[in-house]
Amino acid sequence: MKDTQELIETLSRDVRRVSAHALAMRVGFGIAAGSIVTIVLVIAVLGVRPDLQVAMHGFSFWMKWIYTGSLGLCTAYAVTQLGRPTPASLRSLWFLTIPVLILLVIGIVELARTSPGNWLPMWLGRSWMICPWLVLTLAAPIFVGLLWSFRKLAPTRLRAAGATAGLAAGAWAATIYCLHCPEASAIFVLTWYTLGIALAAGSGALLGPRLMRW
Amino acid sequence: MAESEARLKSWMLGGLDGDAAAHSELLRALVPLLHSFFRRRLHGVEEDVEDLVQETLISVHTRRASYDRTRPFTAWLYAVARYRMVDHYRRRRLSVPIEEVDDILVTEGFEDALSAHMDVDRLLSALSPKQARAIRDTHIDGKSIAEAAVGAGIGESDVKVSVHRGLRAIVNRIRGTS
Repeated sequence: MKDTQELIETLSRDVRRVSAHALAMRVGFGIAAGSIVTIVLVIAVLGVRPDLQVAMHGFSFWMKWIYTGSLGLCTAYAVTQLGRPTPASLRSLWFLTIPVLILLVIGIVELARTSPGNWLPMWLGRSWMICPWLVLTLAAPIFVGLLWSFRKLAPTRLRAAGATAGLAAGAWAATIYCLHCPEASAIFVLTWYTLGIALAAGSGALLGPRLMRW
Repeated sequence: MAESEARLKSWMLGGLDGDAAAHSELLRALVPLLHSFFRRRLHGVEEDVEDLVQETLISVHTRRASYDRTRPFTAWLYAVARYRMVDHYRRRRLSVPIEEVDDILVTEGFEDALSAHMDVDRLLSALSPKQARAIRDTHIDGKSIAEAAVGAGIGESDVKVSVHRGLRAIVNRIRGTS
C-alpha cells in the first residue's frame, strides 16, 4: 500500500497540461514528422520528376493526389479513433471505397477511350514492378512517426491499430511518391499505388501487436 | 467509499488542465476502485492485484491524452484497466515456467472442470446409448426419474435399471483398468 502512495506522489509531481486536441495533434505530428523524412528521401534518392511544373497543370497529377490524399485523410481519422482504449467505430473506413470507386470509373473511361492493344502498357506503365515496393518503403518513416504518436495513446486493438496506421502511412507515402512518379493512367494508380498501400497496411497488421503494446 | 463519475471526471479534467492536486486526488480515488475491479477478476492473487493497480495508475497518468473529455471517465478508466489485465496475463503466460502452469489452471478452476468433463464423457461413451443417457439425465443434468423416462420414451423402471447397470459397468471398468 505504501508503494502505491509513493507512486501516486511521484506521478503527481509531473502533471503537464494536456490539450483537448492532444490526440489529434499527436497523430498529425507523427504523420508530419515521418512525411518530412519521406519527402527528403524522394527528393534526395529518387528525384522529383523533371516535368513537375507542367504536370501540376494537368488532370492526372491531381487525380493521383486527390486519390492518395483522400485515403490519407480518411485513414488518419481512423487512426485517431483507434488511439483511444474505448471501443471505436471503424465505419469511417467505409469512406475509403468512395475514392477507389471514383478512380475505377475514371479508369474504365480511360480504357474505353484507348485501343485494346494499348491497354497492357497503360496498365503496367514503366514502373509497375517497383511502384508498390517504393510506396511500401516510403511508408516506413511515416509508420515510425505514428508509432511515436501511439506512445502516449492507448490502443486496445493492436492489430487493427497497426493495420490502420500502416494504411495511413502507405496513403501518405503514395501522396509524396507522386512528386517522383511520372505514371499518368488511372488504372495504373488504382492497381499499383493501391497495392503498395495495401502492403503497408499488411505490414502494419503484422507489426502492430508487437510494437504497439504498452 | 467509491467516488462518483462526476467527481472523478472533474478531477481528471483538472489534471488535464495541469492541476497537480486534482490529478493526485484522482489517482488516490482510483486505488480502491481498481482494487475491487481486479480482485473480482483475479480471485485473490493478491500480489498481482497490487501490481495491476500500480500499472494501471501509471497508464492512466502517461496515456491521459487518449481520454476524450466529452465522454464518461469511468468507461475510459475501465477500458485501460481491462487492457492492463489482458496484457498482464499475456506477459505471464509467455514467461510462466511450465511447472507453474498447473497452478494457474487450478486457481482458475479450469483444469477441474475440463478434466471432469473429459472423464465423464470417456466413461459414458463405453456404455450403451440408453444407459449413458439415463445416467447423464439423472446424475449430471439433475432430472427426476420420471422426467428422464418421458424424455427417453421408456418406462421409469427401465431408467432405474439402466442407471444401476450402467454405474455398475463403470465401476467395474475403473476397477479393471486401475
